[in-house]
Amino acid sequence: MAQALVRLRRVSRFYGERAVLKNIDLELAPAQVTLVVGPNGAGKSTLLRLVAGLLPPSEGEVETELPPGGIGYLGHKTLIYPKLTARANLAFWQSMFGQPRDDAAVTAVLSRVGLAGFADEEAGVFSRGMSQRLSLARVFLTAPRLLLLDEPASGLDPASAVWLRREIRAVADAGASVAWVSHNIAADLAACDRVVRLDGHRVAYDGPAAGFDAAALAGEGVC
Amino acid sequence: MLKAALAIARKDLSLALSGAQGLVQTVLLGLLLIFIMSLSREPGELSPPLAAAAVFWLATAFGQVLVFNFLYGLEEAEGARLGLLLSPAPAQAVWLGKALSGWVLLFCCQMVFAPAAVAFLGQTVAGSPLTGLAVVAAVDWGLCALGSLLGALSVGKSSRESLLTVILFPLLVPALLAGIRLLETVISGRGLEAVGAWTGTVVAFDAVFTAAALVLFPFLYTGEE
Repeated sequence: MAQALVRLRRVSRFYGERAVLKNIDLELAPAQVTLVVGPNGAGKSTLLRLVAGLLPPSEGEVETELPPGGIGYLGHKTLIYPKLTARANLAFWQSMFGQPRDDAAVTAVLSRVGLAGFADEEAGVFSRGMSQRLSLARVFLTAPRLLLLDEPASGLDPASAVWLRREIRAVADAGASVAWVSHNIAADLAACDRVVRLDGHRVAYDGPAAGFDAAALAGEGVC
Repeated sequence: MLKAALAIARKDLSLALSGAQGLVQTVLLGLLLIFIMSLSREPGELSPPLAAAAVFWLATAFGQVLVFNFLYGLEEAEGARLGLLLSPAPAQAVWLGKALSGWVLLFCCQMVFAPAAVAFLGQTVAGSPLTGLAVVAAVDWGLCALGSLLGALSVGKSSRESLLTVILFPLLVPALLAGIRLLETVISGRGLEAVGAWTGTVVAFDAVFTAAALVLFPFLYTGEE
């Protein structure tokens, strides 16, 4: 296994007295898609925020090999500015990531996500699927080595969800690590290398996607 | 850090000025305040310069709360705060960017408040307008340094918005008092050397809260909801 990009060592997270995660050990390696599954309240989103460094652990350590700016995030919220055009949104994130203003790169990434014809329209008028495509364009533009996805396909139509799955796989094949929270396990499993299942605030399963029995979870309301 | 801060300020100003979002409310509130205060004097009576300066800075202080709630609200609509925190730019770049855009927006509002205060409160400005602008800009920087620092408290939950006002106003008192004294001096045409101690207060306020913000901001602006 390649050198892990992020390591969680006996990490616990509490909100007040309530434990959300307990004694989590986890490593995320490059060129790998890790599907994170579990029932509502299992701590999946909290796990992503701990990995991203957006939340400090209550106990344990989060170690990372990544430089600042090495983590990308795509979730329920799109992280875009509705009153800016698609192009202006991407130009802003270019500046924030220390990249020179490059209109050609912006145009190219908008074409990749199928928004080239909407580059100069305000992002606020986009449908949910288009907004998620723009958000993915932001991720492509900043080329993170670790991509965290928190149910990115929620609200997408089936065709957009298939497209998103293909793009996520392409990101990992290009060398990035992807940690992907999903409830649509049956559909998403094929695009993943590994599954981490959270239950009872702990890791209940951590192994290859090929050996994961998604059907058994259906009765638990996980998928 | 400076490039990222300028990118944030540019983006905020573009959003604020394109649809006059955030500015209209601020300007209207300030004008309303100045107008109401003007009703307290008899027709034809002139307000003392000290009172006029106090009304001007009061309008500015209320406007500042709206400006920074607006500026930090921009990052909450679609969760852009997470993107800012995950970017390689230090968190202080967000503080500086917001302080700079707030500084410009507040100054724009004051360019409406000033003639309104002169007209409604019956003032004759005897001093140099340039000195007045310098005084306003210097006091504004302290207000914006503090406003941008504490504006970070208002993010996440709507219940936190009131925190900004509760904590901000007591801390603003030294800058507001100095601003009132210095502006009164400009209106009445006396030299600023007569109020040297208040000039020192403004400089110290600006320096202390700029330094405090650079140290404290990363602890206030986090990924926690």
